[in-house]
Amino acid sequence: MSEQFVGTPDPQGQYTPLAQWLYGLLAHGPKEAPTEQVAVGEDVSLPGKDYHAGFYPQLPNFVMALLRQTPGVTTRYAPLFFHLLGCPICHRAYLETYDALRIALADDARPTTTALRLSASASLATTSPKLLVFLCQLLLGQARAILQQAHRDHTDEDAWARELLQQAMQISRYLMQGTLRQRALRDLVEVASLAQRSEIDGPSAQATLSYSALVGAGSSTRGRGVLRRADMMSRSNEQASIDLRSDSLEGNVTQEGELLILRLVDLDATLRGKFLLISVPLGTLLEPVRWLGGNPYAIRSAGPVGADGTLVTPLGSTELSLSKPEDRNLIETLFKKLDISPLEP
Amino acid sequence: MLEWAGGATGEKKQHAEVFTRMPFSANDLRYHVEESYPALCTYLQHRAQRYLGQLSFDAFEVDQVVGHVIEYLARIQLLGGGKQSPQTALDELSNAQFYTFLNRMVQNKAIDRLRRRRLPMSTTGELEDQRSPDEDNDPLNAVVEPFWGDIPFANPEEAVLEAVSQEQLRIILKHCIESLSAAPRQLQAVIQELEELGASELVREVRADLPPDLEQTPLAHLSQHKDHAHKKLRLCLQKNSTNLAVMIAIRLTEYGTQFSRTGSVSVPLQTLTQDDLSLREVQTGLQHLAHAGLLDWHGEEVVIVTLAQQKGLTRFYEDE
Repeated sequence: MSEQFVGTPDPQGQYTPLAQWLYGLLAHGPKEAPTEQVAVGEDVSLPGKDYHAGFYPQLPNFVMALLRQTPGVTTRYAPLFFHLLGCPICHRAYLETYDALRIALADDARPTTTALRLSASASLATTSPKLLVFLCQLLLGQARAILQQAHRDHTDEDAWARELLQQAMQISRYLMQGTLRQRALRDLVEVASLAQRSEIDGPSAQATLSYSALVGAGSSTRGRGVLRRADMMSRSNEQASIDLRSDSLEGNVTQEGELLILRLVDLDATLRGKFLLISVPLGTLLEPVRWLGGNPYAIRSAGPVGADGTLVTPLGSTELSLSKPEDRNLIETLFKKLDISPLEP
Repeated sequence: MLEWAGGATGEKKQHAEVFTRMPFSANDLRYHVEESYPALCTYLQHRAQRYLGQLSFDAFEVDQVVGHVIEYLARIQLLGGGKQSPQTALDELSNAQFYTFLNRMVQNKAIDRLRRRRLPMSTTGELEDQRSPDEDNDPLNAVVEPFWGDIPFANPEEAVLEAVSQEQLRIILKHCIESLSAAPRQLQAVIQELEELGASELVREVRADLPPDLEQTPLAHLSQHKDHAHKKLRLCLQKNSTNLAVMIAIRLTEYGTQFSRTGSVSVPLQTLTQDDLSLREVQTGLQHLAHAGLLDWHGEEVVIVTLAQQKGLTRFYEDE
């Protein structure tokens, strides 16, 4: 009999061989070595294989049932229980949860007299940018994990994932440095596209050109210069436009009153004289913009592309203002991706 | 309730920060993350600095502790979970309990960081000295090393023994082994393994439920079949519907009202939920049983189980 099973609830060792076999079976599944905690400030939006969205969130309830000595708790949580046997990461989280919850419940009878010295004026604007980036990445990572789990379970959790993405976008507007905002929302477009798979009138995959808002580091020398300056300026009022780029092509979004205006230049000769279909894939994630035609995936240009390759067209209206830094950041996030294609071939 | 941290003089007031008591709750973190996150960060930073002792001025270490707890709250789907994510036991805690919970999480992580750096942990006495007077009554102050040893299933060996010695968990294991019958060689490989390790009782039970000709197939490439079988068993054991099916099978045979003429029993779904299962979970279990051909159920509010089906259900979970 293995020493490791000595002192456990099987005094006669009746089940020991079976237990050893089961442990070997469960513990030798896909191996995830417990990794070092990711440092705050590094990317956590890609939860590794060590995050099990189907099990981890059950831990507090399982622990609570154990602490309350609910009959049949291991049977009730059998899948989690079997999972814990083979997953050192979830098992570690179980231990932490148990310890903290046990102390919390034991503390119930004692009055808490400690005044928590927290500033009432604390806001996201005054919160460490590093922790804001961290939260945005966590929310995106959660959205991704939930969508992947839903895909495996054949369920629909799009609404939940969208809510998490919206929260990440809202929180990121308090990051005044473009590079930090870029890092916070690096995977936004990709995760949003996972959530949009089931939408009937979702964004078309056949775009002729894809623009992206110039946030943080740009690809050209000129872009980098502009952005570095913008980062340092921390978004002043005079910068009331959002620059877009698609390879060597440029464009921008400006605002007239409440109207958001798209301006694209140097469009290819094949597009000149044609109406365009404009798609803003992240457009459905934020309510404050009323898109022209109601569908941000299919906005018809107000006129055809000019003979000089220029298109100027309204996109929608909003009470958000490009001259307010936080609003501007939010609108800029919306335009992390903008696709165009000719309305007619 | 707002409190002034400074004194009563105007000058002190000028420099004093406005402090608030219990500025956020679990509910706030779930539904109002934008408003409550700053306070959460401040609280965790404050606590982390306190427990990190010699590392309390190391910004990286403070971030590691704070980040760990924030990540935990996100991963259990409380932070920003809104109404979409299922309620957790933490939602049920009182504010004071929730703070105690967070405090303990911080404390444990701080100890972990100190251990990694091989630095001495602060004694309770040292912490008392660093503390402001109004924290003297804080019942959360004692630094206690986490002692996982007295936690149930503190190590996997203990947990796995529980898994095989508890009847209902053993039933699930047996059910999962039997479900390998669709791949007879894999089932044979597992039976052979179990025989070799002397789990004769379980082997006997499994064999009793299987067609006699199943083990006639000659077995080559044993290790390959074993690997496939193990993978299937792992998936089956961790699948919610398997567990629910076993629970529902037991309840169907225990809680039914019998029709004297036909011998059939009727069981309303509500009866199957008892106090510990949701309606959705009951439906998942029933679907699993229907899919396995043990029931004829298509979403009705009352489940009718024929005499023959009752026998099948009993065999499904029977452990004798």
